[in-house]
Amino acid sequence: MINTTAINALLTAMADDALIQGHRNSEWTGLGPIMEEDIAFSSMAQDKIGHAWALYKIMQEELQGGDPDQFAFLRNEKDYKCCHFVEHPNGEYDFSLMRHFLFDHAEAIRYELLQQSSFQPLQPLAKKLKGEIKYHTLHANAWVSQLCRAGEESHARMQSALNTCFPLALGLFEPGGEAEEILIAEKVYPGEKAIKEIWLDKIYNILSVAGLNLPAEKDAEPVYGGRKGYHSIYLQPLLEEMGAVFRTDPAAIW
Amino acid sequence: MNNQSLDPRVNRLKLNASGEAVTVQEGENWNVFEVFHQEKRGAHHEHVGCVHAPNAQLALIFAKEQFGRRKKCVNLWVVRSADILAFDAEDEDMFANNGEKTYRDASGFKVMEKINKFKKAAKES
Amino acid sequence: MKTNGLNMVYYKVRKSNSFAPVILKVSTTADFGDRTKFSNLQDYQNNHSMYGGGYIFDEPNNRQLKEEQIHDDPEKLTEFEDRISRGEKIEPGDWMPSEYRRQLIRLIEQHAHSEIIGALPEGTWITRAPGFKRKLALIAKVQDEIGHGQLLYNAAETLGKSREAMINDLLSGKSKYSNVFNYPAETWADVTVIGFLIDAAAIVNQIANSKGSYGPYCRALERICYEESFHLKQGHDAFVELAAGTPAQREMVQDALNRWWQPIMHFFGPPDKNSTHSEKLMQWKVKMASNDDMRNQFLDTYVPKIWDMGLTLPDEKLKKDEATGKWDYSDPDWDLFKIVINGGGPCNKERLDVRKWAEEHGRWVRKALMNPKDKISAPVA
Repeated sequence: MINTTAINALLTAMADDALIQGHRNSEWTGLGPIMEEDIAFSSMAQDKIGHAWALYKIMQEELQGGDPDQFAFLRNEKDYKCCHFVEHPNGEYDFSLMRHFLFDHAEAIRYELLQQSSFQPLQPLAKKLKGEIKYHTLHANAWVSQLCRAGEESHARMQSALNTCFPLALGLFEPGGEAEEILIAEKVYPGEKAIKEIWLDKIYNILSVAGLNLPAEKDAEPVYGGRKGYHSIYLQPLLEEMGAVFRTDPAAIW
Repeated sequence: MNNQSLDPRVNRLKLNASGEAVTVQEGENWNVFEVFHQEKRGAHHEHVGCVHAPNAQLALIFAKEQFGRRKKCVNLWVVRSADILAFDAEDEDMFANNGEKTYRDASGFKVMEKINKFKKAAKES
Repeated sequence: MKTNGLNMVYYKVRKSNSFAPVILKVSTTADFGDRTKFSNLQDYQNNHSMYGGGYIFDEPNNRQLKEEQIHDDPEKLTEFEDRISRGEKIEPGDWMPSEYRRQLIRLIEQHAHSEIIGALPEGTWITRAPGFKRKLALIAKVQDEIGHGQLLYNAAETLGKSREAMINDLLSGKSKYSNVFNYPAETWADVTVIGFLIDAAAIVNQIANSKGSYGPYCRALERICYEESFHLKQGHDAFVELAAGTPAQREMVQDALNRWWQPIMHFFGPPDKNSTHSEKLMQWKVKMASNDDMRNQFLDTYVPKIWDMGLTLPDEKLKKDEATGKWDYSDPDWDLFKIVINGGGPCNKERLDVRKWAEEHGRWVRKALMNPKDKISAPVA
């Protein structure tokens, strides 16, 4: 029997990341740089929110968790376990694209490893999402590599977005302490450090071909705290907004 | 400054409310690619519309969501609209008599009639 | 490639007798008739008030039409009109009267703008939609509106106006969009009323238009109507959820209905008796149904569904005359309708300012990947 607290911590972090990232990306719907991209980016935002939903459902069905809607939309800020990276407002499209690139490669690696998870319910989910996530990384790679080779301004914007995003992105792999050790020992997944190493290799290869300098990990101060419930100033207003209609009558069905 | 929008997303955009003209340059919406959609393995790719994209790689990526997000789809093709070669509309008359050329059609050959006639004749003789 | 601001237009180059590579070159003058240049037409439109149903704003164009007709080859015109009366579709490469081309561009372009602007009032609630199902359905719906805009701009482009030129005419206010999107979505209930009733009204309009004569527009509408049926269903579902919900929810949806009823009645345009729509447009199957007929069809299908839920509509006269099958109703305020069309609505400015923001902030992305040396063409079908 796998330690429920530990597996809950992992699933909550994964689901909250996907939910908030999807929520942020969905804000671009109708406002994107060109119609075709608007449609593609919106689809991926929907997929992310869908990933979160699927994870909350696993927690409800397998781990005696609460109703996914209530859990996702109505918790207190400190009970969310997302990293600061996904909380930041969208800013310009360069930031959103770079966040999408860094986030989705991490997600792709995580789900690939979870196909072998000893926590059985994660296996079919990881297999099911494989195709979706493949499109997300394909989309991100195409944009990053094309924009980085499309003139000085565009390259500079992407480099600057990478510099801003990198320390935040390291927050995706915030060490999970004792709970993480248990999950590694139980072969639920190989742990944050292992995912991060694969991720660094992967993104380094794509970014260097694109002509971007990946900041050295040792020089970057990872932005941690999210997994312990300490958040950036952006999360609380986001949560108030996200739950605004729900909260007008929590007993009602919407 | 418009901070009164009911849309919180809009309030975060920091709109320029000066009323200054904004224009899009010709060519800024890139080139046009025709999209062909394959519903299932073994089926033809069928023309379903087009996407604006700077190159074929992004055209295919855009086509996947604009034309493959709802209905069943297993593959897509994209090709620059400029590379499509077609007949002129007024040259439709070249195709006009096709239907009359029954020697190209199974219905143009009355084999059974001939066989039956032969059999009937053989029986009678 | 030569450029000349807004008025660049594509035209088709005929290369040989049998083969016409569908290469469309950029020209500085419109090929839509010798006399009339596109820019003048646009000015003409802009200086005349526009009325009309759904996404179509009629203009008083009788003078224009007569002059245009003189320039159309009478033999070709007869052939064209015969083709339409036989129920055949017109395709991009076909000969067509310049007035037909002009009216279609205007119609399809306004329809496209309506989709892009229509994404904004509902987008208002994307970040606040209650629960996964509603949130995902709303994002998907707003996404579809952008997708519809994309399809419609492509259809209009086959007639010779570039997408960039259409976007510019939207941003400058030269080209209109459906009036109904100049109203704010104040509460979550507004989203359900829009999703249910505005989409229902749009479907009535679009099904009529999908039987029109221009092939590319019909094909775009076929796909659009298919997706609208999902919008209508999810809108109806969310609407009924509130109508069958708590007292507060019912109050919310009733309030939204009260506010949206007049814009919905405006949606199909002024009564036929006041509308100067041209018989030619009907004959050419550009305009497919009269404003009053579409409004009546809408009322007949949807008012009972509203009343079924025990909700009311803010019009005491609203009643079906069983003898004629026609609905009676109070005339909505048509002066207000004109004021809103001409920029005086509660959200006209915000809507265009948001579109301008999107175009301005997306510019670096588009420009970075522009390739002016590429062999370029308009959509072929």
